Formats: sequence, C-alpha cells, structure tokens
Amino acid sequence: MAFLLRRLVFYLAAFIAAATINFFLPRLMPGDPIQIMFAGAGSNLSMENLNALKLTFGFIDAPMGQQYLAYLQSVFTGDLGRSIKYFPLPVTELLARALVWTVGLVGSATIVSFILGTLLGVMAAWRRGTRFDAVVSLLAILSSSVPAVVISLTMLFVFGYRLGWFPNGYAADPMLDPAFSWPYIASVLHHGALPMLTLVFVLTGGFAVTMRNNMINLLGEDYIVMGRAKGLSENRVMLWYAARNALLPTVSSLAISIGTILSGSLVTEVVFNYPGLGNTLYQAILARDYPVIQGQLLIMTAAMLASNFVVDLSYVLLDPRLKKA
Amino acid sequence: MRLLSQLLQNKKAMVGVVILVLIILVAIFAPVLSQYSPTQRVGRPHQPPSLEHWLGTTRLGHDVFTRLVYGARVSLAVGFGAGLMIALIGTVLGIIAGYKGGVVDEVINFFTNLVLVIPNLPLLLVLAAFIGQASPPVIAVILGLTSWAWGVRVTRSETLSIRQRDYVKSAEMLGEPGWRIMTFEIFPNLISIVGINFIGSVIFAVISEATLEFLGLGDPNTVSWGIMLYNAQNASALSVGAWWDLLSPCFALALLGLGLALINFAIDEVANPRLRTGGMLGRWTRMVRAGEGKL
Repeated sequence: MAFLLRRLVFYLAAFIAAATINFFLPRLMPGDPIQIMFAGAGSNLSMENLNALKLTFGFIDAPMGQQYLAYLQSVFTGDLGRSIKYFPLPVTELLARALVWTVGLVGSATIVSFILGTLLGVMAAWRRGTRFDAVVSLLAILSSSVPAVVISLTMLFVFGYRLGWFPNGYAADPMLDPAFSWPYIASVLHHGALPMLTLVFVLTGGFAVTMRNNMINLLGEDYIVMGRAKGLSENRVMLWYAARNALLPTVSSLAISIGTILSGSLVTEVVFNYPGLGNTLYQAILARDYPVIQGQLLIMTAAMLASNFVVDLSYVLLDPRLKKA
Repeated sequence: MRLLSQLLQNKKAMVGVVILVLIILVAIFAPVLSQYSPTQRVGRPHQPPSLEHWLGTTRLGHDVFTRLVYGARVSLAVGFGAGLMIALIGTVLGIIAGYKGGVVDEVINFFTNLVLVIPNLPLLLVLAAFIGQASPPVIAVILGLTSWAWGVRVTRSETLSIRQRDYVKSAEMLGEPGWRIMTFEIFPNLISIVGINFIGSVIFAVISEATLEFLGLGDPNTVSWGIMLYNAQNASALSVGAWWDLLSPCFALALLGLGLALINFAIDEVANPRLRTGGMLGRWTRMVRAGEGKL
C-alpha cells in the first residue's frame, strides 16, 4: 500500500510539472503572452469571451504567484479553456471526442503488438542463434529505427493508393450514420485496420527485443537447469520457468514506452487522416490554437500517468515481494 | 579501444558504419553530386524520375535528388548535435547521481523520473508551437534539453554497481578527488552504455526532427528531409501520383535510422556477449544442440 501511495504522490507532482510548463511557456516567450496565446482569436471572440479565456489561463491582474494558482485551479477543476478555432467548444470536449478514437486505435495496437512481440521474443531467445532469431532481430532493428512517419506514409502508399485494399482516410465512411449497426462497425474496422497494422509494425520490434534480451539473461539461471533436470517438457520450461520471470521487466518497459506509443499514434493519425488526438492536435498546430495544444499535453500526461499506475498495480500482482514493502 | 576493435569484427556494425559513412560523404559532397541548387526552380512541377532529374521534381519544380543530398546535412547535424547534448547531460548527471548518492542523487533521480513520465513528443510540440517556426539548430537544442532522462537512469544504475568495485574503493582510499574517480575510474567502464545512449539519442533526434517538421512546426525554408515530407504531404503528392516526391525522403530517413540502429545493436552485443545472434555463440549452440544435452 505504501508503495502505491508513494507512486500516487509522485504522479501528482508530475502532473503539476506538466501544468507548470504550460503556465510559464507563453510568459517566457518574447512579447506579450496574452497576444501570443490568443493571436488566432482575431475577431471571432467577443471581449467578454476573451476575458473568460484569459481568466482560465491565469492572466489576471495579480502577482505571478496568484496567476499560477489561478491557472492550477482551473486545470484541477477540469477547465482547460476553449478552442479558439472551434469557439465556443471547450478543449476538454474537443479532446474527449478525439480520445475515443485514439484509445481504440492505440489500445488494440498495443495489445496485439505486446502479445506478438513477447511471443516472438520468447521464441527468438529460446532458439538463439538460429535463422528465426536473426529474422526477429532484423525486424526489431527496422521497427525501432525507421520513423513512424516513414512507415505510415509507406503503408498508405502501398496498401492505400497502389493496391487500394484500404481507404485513405477518416475513421468510417462519411456517408454512413454513426450507429450500432453492422455496416457502420464494418466500416470502422475497415478504416482502422491500416493505421492499426502500421502501429503494430512500429511497436512489435521493441517488445520482441526487450523480451528476448531479458529471456537470454535468465536462461543461465539454476532453476531453468532444474526444470530441465526434472524432465519437464521444453514448452513448460520455456513458458512457465523462463518467460514468466522475464515478463516483469518487459511490463515495466511497456510503461516507459507508452509515451512513445502515443507519439507514434499522433503521427500515424495525421498521415491516415484519422480523427483521433493526433489529427486534432495537427489541426490545432496549423491554426496555432494554443489552448488545444496545451490541453493535449495535460491529457497525454494524464494518460501516461494512468497507464503507469496500472503497471504499478500489475507489478504488485506479478511480484509478490512488493506487497509487503 | 578493445571495444572499437571488437566492433570492427561485428558484421552488423560494419554494415551500419558503411551506411553512415556513405550518408556523411553524400552530405559533404552534395554540391559535387548535383548540378542544381536545392532552393531554385529547375524544372516543371511534379516530373517523374528521368535522366535529367534522377528522382523527379517537386510541385514547385525543385529537383528532389538535389534536395535529398543537401537535406542529409541538416539531418546529420541535428542528429549528432542533439545526440551529443543528450548523451553529455545524461552521462554527467547519471555518474554524479550514482556516485555521490544522498540528497544529490535523490534530487537528480526525482527530476529524471519526472521527465520520464511526461510524454516527450507532446511536450516538444507545445515547445515548438510557442517558438513558431523552429529552425534546425533550435530543434536540436530543445531536443537536447528535454530528452536526457533515459540516459541518466541507465548511467546512474550502472554507476551504482561500479561504485562498489574494489578499484573504486582503493582509489578512494588513496585520496583521489571525487571528480577524478568519476572521470578516470568510473567513466571508462561505462563507455559501452554511453555509446548506446549516444547512438540511440542520435536516432531519436533524427526521427523527432523529421516528425516536428512533418507536422508543420519547422521552418519551411530549410532544406531538410522533414521539410521535404511536409511539402510533399501538403502538395498531396500521393493522391496526384507523385510518389517520388514523398518516398525519396522516406527512404533516406529509413536508411539513416537503419544504419545507426545496426551500430547500436552491435555495441550492445559486444558489451553483452550473450545477446549475440550468430558467430561464435551460434557455433557453440549448434555444437550443444548436436550433442545429447540441451544446455
């Protein structure tokens, strides 16, 4: 319990740090921060609305300390301001709509590639030095070094434009009404398949190589020899003796890589014109819609912290020693 | 030095070094390789590859091949510049935290973990968005300042174990000052980790620069692979069938990333021989397999 509590306090500090960056960035830039923040507002915001927006971001007639507290207060009450491009849509609502698509895409891709990568890594380590191992290593090198932009664009070119197997954009056929019906769901799956496969390709290699290296370091342990000496089957030793223990560091590397996964999905969504967080953010960057750009940093940080916490919980389950600590 | 000679015998490292040297030579001799200027209109828009324009032209009539060879300079400069900065900060902080321990360690460790849980690309996007159109040197600096955390974590944990070794203890006993122990006793033993951190950071910086520029946060007047992607995407290169415009920088980025990653995997294998895929160990495993016992 103390372990989890400590982690929670740390996550709170991390979230405040992200909010602090948001608060100070416009104020550190040369020029008038209010001008910078709301440059895109132009004439479509009335004085009244602009003042409300200023208040949310802590631009009040008070010393810096109070401005900071005012900003933190609006962040912690869930008020991230309003989008300037889509005024008066609140940033939280804009991002929440997009988040649904991103979570679906990233979630399914992460689960598939984690299982696939872990299995490949286990088998590559078990058959170390064979051709299978070499192929897995090559795949890992490729997927860890080629930028996600490049993989996305190439996949889109080959499967979207040349072969025409998959659509080139959107999350579903725009002609269909969103409903819980078979044509709509099929359309969603068809549109999501290519971005998901791209993400799976980007992610699998990393999981495979972490698992492989962990496994290899464990294969020399005495209990592996013991398992063999007892006459257990190869598969049992591989999965229940070696893989089970190698999984722990892999799970923690999953937590660290969630940032990378989200980043990868940002780019993939832009390339495939998929209406998730990435694309929303891209539109916001083009329009210099700062409240949205700042809001996504907070949402992404929150997502990262939440997934880290889930990993902490699973750690306690996987490693019984932590329960007592 | 032993690390270097071992690296030269590693097949992966050799392929990686050849790719990297090739790209560096292309970057240096860019004006010799192409007769055109990378920023001037030299042909009709979106011409397919031909003898005059080896990789075709962009929508603005720039020669794609010329932009590609000049763009290599920016990718390499940003990659190695930012990579050096990330590795330097990571190594120095990591060794200090690991060796000094106590409050110093706790402070450094706290900030490292903090930076690790704030997602990197979204943070970079916010920074770049406020800067406006970030030129390559600016991108290199913000990458350097925001991405050192992983290096600190790895270096620190390795330093923690080295600190306990006898030669460090005896150096302390002899009264060597702390900075000397850190630079001459601990650092040389971290060289493979620093190498992996450095090359990994270069890959990260190359990828991030291209990504930021692709997303429209770069300075559109620079000649770089990321800006080429950005321009090609804005010109809808794929839907009008001008694949050469988009796929050329894609291929270049993939090649550079591959070369660097091969070097990185090779360092890892040399430093940790059990991870090797072939060579000596492969022969040994096959020998064991041929025999009766499995291990």
